[in-house]
Amino acid sequence: MVDTILKTSWLIAALPLLSAVLIMLFFHYSRKISAFLSIGSIAYGLVHSLLVLFVCYLNPEKTLELNMPWIAAGSFKLFVGYLVDPLCAMMLVVVCAVSFFVQIYTHGYMSEDPNYSKFYSYLSLFTFSMLGLVFSTNLFQSYIFWELVGVCSYLLIGFWWYKQPAANACTKAFLVNRIGDAGLLIGLLMLFFSTQNFWLDKVTLSFSELKNALDWANSSGILPVLGVISITTIALFVLMGPMAKSAQFPLHVWLPDAMEGPTPISALIHAATMVAAGVYLIARTYPLYLASPLAMHVVAWIGGITAIFSASIALSQYDIKRTLAYSTCSQLGYMVMALGLGAYSAGLFHLMTHAFFKAMLFLCSGSVIIACHHEQDMRHMGGLKKFMPITSRTCLIGVLAISGFPLLSGFWSKDMILAAAWEHNKILFVVGVLTAVLTAFYMFRLYFMTFSGDYRGHAHPHETTPAITIPLICLAIPSIFIGLIGSPLIPGGDKFSSFIFHGKHHLHHEWGVSAFVHEFLTLQGFIPFLAFLIGTFFAWLVYRKGFSLNTYMKTHFSFLYKLSFNKWYIDEIYFGILNNIIMPLYRILWGAIDKVLIDGFFVNGSAFVASVIGNRLRYVETGRAQMYALVIFGSVLLGILYFAFRR
Amino acid sequence: MKEFFLEHALSTILIVPLIAALIIAFLPDKESICRTVALLFSLDILLNVLVVIFSKFDPNLSVLQYVESYRWFGDTIRVKLGIDGLSISMVLLMAILLPVAIIASEPIARDKPKFYYSMLMLLTTSVLGVFIAQDLFLFFLLWELELIPMYFLIAIWGGPNRSYASMKFLIYTFIAGAFMFAGVLLLYFSSGVNTFDMEVLATNAKNLSHTFQLLCFLLFFICFIVKLPSFPFHTWLPDAHVEAPTPVSMLLAGILLKMGGYGIYRICVGFFPNILAELGLWIALLAAVNIIGAAVACLVQDDMKRIIAYSSVSHMGFVLLGVASLTSAGFSGGIFQMFSHGLISAALFMLVGTLYERTHTRAVSDYGGMTKYMPKCFYLFILASMANLALPALSGFVGESLIFYGAFSSEFFKQFPTHLYFNFGQICVLFSSISVVLTAGYMLWLIQRVFMGPENTKWSGLTDLRMPEVVVLGTLLVLVILYGVYPLSLSTLYEPSSTALLNFVQHNLVM
Repeated sequence: MVDTILKTSWLIAALPLLSAVLIMLFFHYSRKISAFLSIGSIAYGLVHSLLVLFVCYLNPEKTLELNMPWIAAGSFKLFVGYLVDPLCAMMLVVVCAVSFFVQIYTHGYMSEDPNYSKFYSYLSLFTFSMLGLVFSTNLFQSYIFWELVGVCSYLLIGFWWYKQPAANACTKAFLVNRIGDAGLLIGLLMLFFSTQNFWLDKVTLSFSELKNALDWANSSGILPVLGVISITTIALFVLMGPMAKSAQFPLHVWLPDAMEGPTPISALIHAATMVAAGVYLIARTYPLYLASPLAMHVVAWIGGITAIFSASIALSQYDIKRTLAYSTCSQLGYMVMALGLGAYSAGLFHLMTHAFFKAMLFLCSGSVIIACHHEQDMRHMGGLKKFMPITSRTCLIGVLAISGFPLLSGFWSKDMILAAAWEHNKILFVVGVLTAVLTAFYMFRLYFMTFSGDYRGHAHPHETTPAITIPLICLAIPSIFIGLIGSPLIPGGDKFSSFIFHGKHHLHHEWGVSAFVHEFLTLQGFIPFLAFLIGTFFAWLVYRKGFSLNTYMKTHFSFLYKLSFNKWYIDEIYFGILNNIIMPLYRILWGAIDKVLIDGFFVNGSAFVASVIGNRLRYVETGRAQMYALVIFGSVLLGILYFAFRR
Repeated sequence: MKEFFLEHALSTILIVPLIAALIIAFLPDKESICRTVALLFSLDILLNVLVVIFSKFDPNLSVLQYVESYRWFGDTIRVKLGIDGLSISMVLLMAILLPVAIIASEPIARDKPKFYYSMLMLLTTSVLGVFIAQDLFLFFLLWELELIPMYFLIAIWGGPNRSYASMKFLIYTFIAGAFMFAGVLLLYFSSGVNTFDMEVLATNAKNLSHTFQLLCFLLFFICFIVKLPSFPFHTWLPDAHVEAPTPVSMLLAGILLKMGGYGIYRICVGFFPNILAELGLWIALLAAVNIIGAAVACLVQDDMKRIIAYSSVSHMGFVLLGVASLTSAGFSGGIFQMFSHGLISAALFMLVGTLYERTHTRAVSDYGGMTKYMPKCFYLFILASMANLALPALSGFVGESLIFYGAFSSEFFKQFPTHLYFNFGQICVLFSSISVVLTAGYMLWLIQRVFMGPENTKWSGLTDLRMPEVVVLGTLLVLVILYGVYPLSLSTLYEPSSTALLNFVQHNLVM
């Protein structure tokens, strides 16, 4: 039974693919069948993945890996297959659960869209690609699905292709991700080059052998830790992929723009699953980073910088979804920072809790947007608490969770990360705490601007349909409670870490209420809570009590305000370089080489001949071309004969 | 009967299109009749090729199979036909593309249909002949024969500037052909074996003096890279593509360019492995220049057909890189890349052609928001573009990743260290890997400008894809998906031959 559950786990990924293909080819005319197929396949996936999680929980040391050859050329082989271990099982549940609720929500959100069925087929296709990425046994297979999730994201961001911002956003998202992919590809090439003799009788680039391969290459002197071709450079090139996917500075620019897509996919792809894939890939290739302290530092700092950088932008945005998008960047920064600090389980734990509460927050924003008749500007909202009791309450839960209100899910995971930072790098601890202050501030700003006070818009807000509110309620439950599995409040303490480490976590966990209180009252336990209080307090002062800190900042520190409001001008810099340097350079290069050098100089002679002959050749059947050929070949023949017989 | 067919399978494949050309020439001058007959014959060719593959062909034998040899001019010049994995995969590609191109010809061939379809069939004979000829003189003749139908197809049914484009095509290829002619004769006279048999010449070529080998290699190589095409001989391609009618563009990009690649594998690699190894470095450099240079050129074009044409140059650069790497992955990737590019570029030209047929403009800036009027075209265009930018699970990815992995980890390139820690080949690969971004850049930008954003109301009367167009694109793109998801289905066909070729090269290098 146990084996069957694991062995058939590929069905979790296969059914969404099947439903996507069926909808695209046969059932696109019927909304009911499309929604049924798509939701049905993911519902199956959710049940099955919960079973897989349960099996993995009972047998934490058990892993299943099956591979089959995908292409072979001589001794070079590449494989695809599926790998089930605790990390995979955790991700399966996260992806399936979020996807399931988002797909139900989609029925409410997209009900008036003419391309309703197509949306479901894309969602299913995305779910398949994401699950394929989770199941990957080796880096090469990861790369395959890595790009497939990217293209699904492209299709879904550009779903409303007729809007110019959406058209720009999808191209931008794909291109920025491609930059990351190019780095990832180079990393994989270098890794394969250095370890190719190791893989001869093994699954090429497999995760399970990665550590052995690195040890082998390092001990045989092929791959030093530092240098041009070294573990560090490989790790950093590989890191480019996660940086683009997980929207880390400086490749974060696509994520806020991606909010032009429909809200369900912002929740599913750009908050909960695909953007977390970067963190997942770092976790999968962790041996690379563990082998190189420098790479670990880079990872930690990129995470830390992204966290505080995006939080600083989120402070001043008015678009509700963009605020959430920058918040996502910032939280992903936390996860990456945690992995860089060596807090493997803390990063993944935050990935899981964040997936639930951030998906819910996005769905809340979608509910608000629908209620306000497609208004996204928070200046035209306010007072929605009266009209939308369910949305406002679930949103409050999400805001409290992400800001780190004690005992909610975000509290536990963020605390774990900050504790790790306290232990390993005090500067990053400060960065993390500052980010926590900012997070509490902008999230409560969002909540107060949207739900408190008086309504400032012109629509007639109303609570949304059950298809929208039920997923909100369902996601609110894990947003509150899921953090407990990593907390000291449950028997055994921090079950999450011991599960992720195959049940052999080396730390002995203190548990019980007294252990929790003891941890909470230490400096590193209490400061994050203080950060939450400060951020919330200021947001309350500014947006509820009219304390005009924001106008003071705008007038007296307009420089800082403008930096934040204009996203530090990163987009302007990038587009400036692209439009003013790269593209003109390309034009000049192409003009100089193709037009002037080759066509002008090289071909000039023959082109001149061509035009002369072409002018005379009014009628192509005159045989002049053949004459021309005869002359050429005749002269060649004579030349060769002369050459050959003279010898 | 069956035995007779199998013994004469290859000559049948060559003669059937010739007979078809003759029959069509005596048909009434009506498009539908000519097209139907041509289609039937093309399906017969496809059937023949499939029978050849599935009945007696054993991919695991690396020697020539189905060999036929007839006297022609004495014993010196013979009609010798034969296939191995490399040949048969190219023949298969042609056999797939031909019926597809004939279906796509409907709107083009209304003018002089008899002549058009006869020329198409003549083209088929010569192209198929190039892939299965095992006599160097026959190879050369068929290679040159291909020019005549191609010239007429562009010069009669082409766009407004067709006489310039067709003449440019003709002159480029004529001069290239002259180079090959010189190479053929030089090889024949200097080897002194009194035969043009390619197998004999291949074994004898390495006994020649180094200068002669180098000279012959260069003569052949220049001819092939004109066809491929490669920098700096690529400028005929954008012009020819822009003016050629859609089905001719499909065949031109789909199969004619592959003659260049095939020639490199069959003659440059098969005859002169030592020279190939000597010049490997330069070929790799040329490949990198092609891959990046053409991608850069794509980014600054405003003509849709030119974008796809330059993209062909970029993608065929990968074939050169694969060959230069002298690894099994690189060789295999090069062949896969040729096959998959044949399908993808044909699909892209078909898509661009359908747009052009409706709007009579190729300028990207005239479009915008076309999805509203042509949703089917949009989705198929996205699929084909994704294949072109080497999205995994579509066939374009397989070849490129094999070549990247092969070239980066090539033992051969290790002989060329540089001061930059990477060896020379690796630097070429790293440089080429920028194309991952550039290709995505120009393809997606093209999609965005043509299909997305606010619609251009000028095109509001346009109809979406018709049934024949959907059939053409569907056939091509289903194969693109099939070979992308399960590449072993194609690679088993040619893999032993390509590995045998590589072993031959390495054997020669060791000696």
